[in-house]
Amino acid sequence: MTADPGPVVCDLPETGPSPDPVLELRHITKRFPGVLANDDVSIAVAPGEVLALLGENGAGKSTLMNVAYGLLAPDAGEVLVDGRVVSVRAPRDAIALGIGMVHQHFMLVEPLTVTENIVLGGEPTSAFGVIDRDVARRRVVELSDRYGLKVEPDARVRDLSVGRQQRVEILKALYRDARILILDEPTAVLTPQEVNELFDIVRELVSEGLAVVIITHKLEEVMAFSDRIVVMRAGRVVGETVPSACDEQSLARMMVGRDVVLRVEKSPHQPGSPLLEVMNLSVLDDRKLPAVRDVSLVVRAGEVVGIAGVDGNGQRELVEAIMGLRRPTQGTITLKGRDITHDNPRRTIAAGVSHVPEDRHRRGLVLDFDLVENVALGDHRRPPFSRYGILDRAKLEQEARRRIAEYDVRTPDEHVAAANLSGGNQQKLVLARELGRDPDVLIAAQPTRGLDVGAIEFVHRRILAERDCGKGVLLVSMELEEVMSLSDRILVMYEGRVVAEFEGGAVTEEELGVFMTGGGRPGAEALGSEGTDA
Amino acid sequence: MLLSDIITPELFASAVRLATPIALAAVGASICERSGVVNIAMEGLMLIAAFSGTAVALLSGSTWLGVLAAVVASMAFASLHAWASINLRADQVISGTAINILALGTTGYLMETVFGHPGTTDPVRTIRPVFDFPSGGSGALATVWTWVDTVLFSYTPIVYFGMFAAVFLTWALYRTRWGLRLRSLGEHPRAADTVGIDVYRGRWSAVLASGFMAGLAGANLTLEQVGSFTEGMTNGRGFIALAAMIFGRWVPGGGYLAALLFGFADALQLKLQIFSDVIDIPPQFFLMLPYVLTVVVLAGVVGRAVAPAAVGKPYKAKG
Repeated sequence: MTADPGPVVCDLPETGPSPDPVLELRHITKRFPGVLANDDVSIAVAPGEVLALLGENGAGKSTLMNVAYGLLAPDAGEVLVDGRVVSVRAPRDAIALGIGMVHQHFMLVEPLTVTENIVLGGEPTSAFGVIDRDVARRRVVELSDRYGLKVEPDARVRDLSVGRQQRVEILKALYRDARILILDEPTAVLTPQEVNELFDIVRELVSEGLAVVIITHKLEEVMAFSDRIVVMRAGRVVGETVPSACDEQSLARMMVGRDVVLRVEKSPHQPGSPLLEVMNLSVLDDRKLPAVRDVSLVVRAGEVVGIAGVDGNGQRELVEAIMGLRRPTQGTITLKGRDITHDNPRRTIAAGVSHVPEDRHRRGLVLDFDLVENVALGDHRRPPFSRYGILDRAKLEQEARRRIAEYDVRTPDEHVAAANLSGGNQQKLVLARELGRDPDVLIAAQPTRGLDVGAIEFVHRRILAERDCGKGVLLVSMELEEVMSLSDRILVMYEGRVVAEFEGGAVTEEELGVFMTGGGRPGAEALGSEGTDA
Repeated sequence: MLLSDIITPELFASAVRLATPIALAAVGASICERSGVVNIAMEGLMLIAAFSGTAVALLSGSTWLGVLAAVVASMAFASLHAWASINLRADQVISGTAINILALGTTGYLMETVFGHPGTTDPVRTIRPVFDFPSGGSGALATVWTWVDTVLFSYTPIVYFGMFAAVFLTWALYRTRWGLRLRSLGEHPRAADTVGIDVYRGRWSAVLASGFMAGLAGANLTLEQVGSFTEGMTNGRGFIALAAMIFGRWVPGGGYLAALLFGFADALQLKLQIFSDVIDIPPQFFLMLPYVLTVVVLAGVVGRAVAPAAVGKPYKAKG
């Protein structure tokens, strides 16, 4: 249908796209129940160009790109490739048009090999649908050499690091002769080194004539490697610019619609008495393999101790052991001198430890419960919330309303299901519960994962507020910036050990990155070289 | 009683025969679950097939027409399961249970309407073994030949087809485009979708394939082995097949071998029943053997087997 869209008010600045865009989206509108995800959005990208699509979560960036890739059908608007209107009803149409997409959550089949994943859906076959594995492997190796994307063609995807998996995703697109590559939040899960490698790869692809669209909410990355920036807010394009004509502050303002404090202001470090002490702790993972090896750490009153590390180096098991969710094989955990090593979560919480779990959907909230019930979880046994095992609904609602207001949870009312809140508001709800019970120690695991700048700012302020009123905070995060800006002391975990310790502010991202990946300079504050393995 | 009275070539041949319905269903269920659809309806599909096969064979006089009817009926009921669990995104276990109950009720009802009485049908002419080699002479060579002839060459066509299907499908699962795509559907259907693979079509064909195999399993049971239909005659074989599928780690060949284990247990208990007065153990204990084995297998070995990641989860194509 090509009805006249009527007069269009185009409020883009003068920086418009290059003359011959390879991919163009015109006047895309997409409605979800209750939400206008894309409201008359138009963008274009040219060969040899890196376009950054910047915006908060829920701004409509991924929706727009899912329309381009045929995963979502737009309610209005058209997609143009090479200047011609095309119909993209399904991913296979997009693939045929030369559009490739690397999704935020990888679309890889983990038990299959790298080669199998890359050729899936476009397998080279000899007779009768038998896969020609030599040809498949050769093509993968060729592509991998040509673009400098090193992969092991016969490795199973589940054995690869996240950075490697991302390369497989990019190779998947290149294998299908993509001329337009869409990367959805590509750096969210990468180490600093991997981010740099990714940027080199993107540069290489662009120099080969590909057009690259990067969806992100990270300002520094946008500044570092995009050619052009389109900013989206609440489903609309609110601005377009180039890195040389703006700075992070102005981009943040455009993105959020108000001024944002990007730099965390922190008072001086004044540690008090030890609150949480972990001694020689060892913990097994789900496969009964050692995940935490002989870790000792102290969290004092009035300090944030940050744990940096690549995902899967024992952080999860460490947190679970402290919270009583996982039984340690050796070592002790004490809170204010009291042994809590073998306490269950209920007793650990009662002792004064609160926990913001890394997976707020699975562990932080019961998504189908309303906000009142979610706030009550864990405290529901205590008076005044319940007496003789019967909940006092009125008291609960009153308390929930108070905390929702205090923690700025944006919601129509306290009776909606937690599933209906945005990620940022869900996390605020978790904080409202966990901090609302006034703990001595807060364990915060990936507290800002997937949140946008506004919500991150809120979470960071809350964490520092806890510190400033004499609480201890153990912060586990893969976001190095977060660890570095919040922590008074930083521990680096690698393969279950604490391999380095730094004073906050006395270390660079690159230095941390080296320890996180198992390197380490002689003479640095490395701790793990003694190697007294139990 | 001597050990040589029990360990005879006939014991092994009987194991293979008894294993065949379970094996066929296990192979079919492996294919189905690899695509991401749980099929606990195998029991019901086998029962429908067993009835349809016998009924058509009796009414038409052609056993082979009976086999065809068994397969068609089973696939028709399988398509109910496919429609409910793929298109309607119903809970696959509920849908499968519904079909099992439906099969039990339908066959019982049709028994009355078609044959005028409950219980068991008249006998049909069963399908002959494929080979009929003469047994030769005496001496050591003849003993060897008896073993070879009995263990390898004494079976009916569907039994051989089961062996072929297990080997061929195992190879195809890992070496063909079809197999690669099937595996991707059961592990990460959205990944398959984003590279242009039709998830619905892939799952439909896998469910139909399991219906085909269940149809043959039912046909084998009635038209090659028992020679008549009795209400509820599948007697849990469809569920034992699922245990075999899990024991075989969702690989068709593995499922087949696991089914052989169950078949062997069944053959052994039949044999031991004959000797029950000699060894003074009530025959009911031997009857339990295949079921006890199922429980042991499910409780022990199975804990570590990893199912396809997306099995049982309905897939929604577009938002």
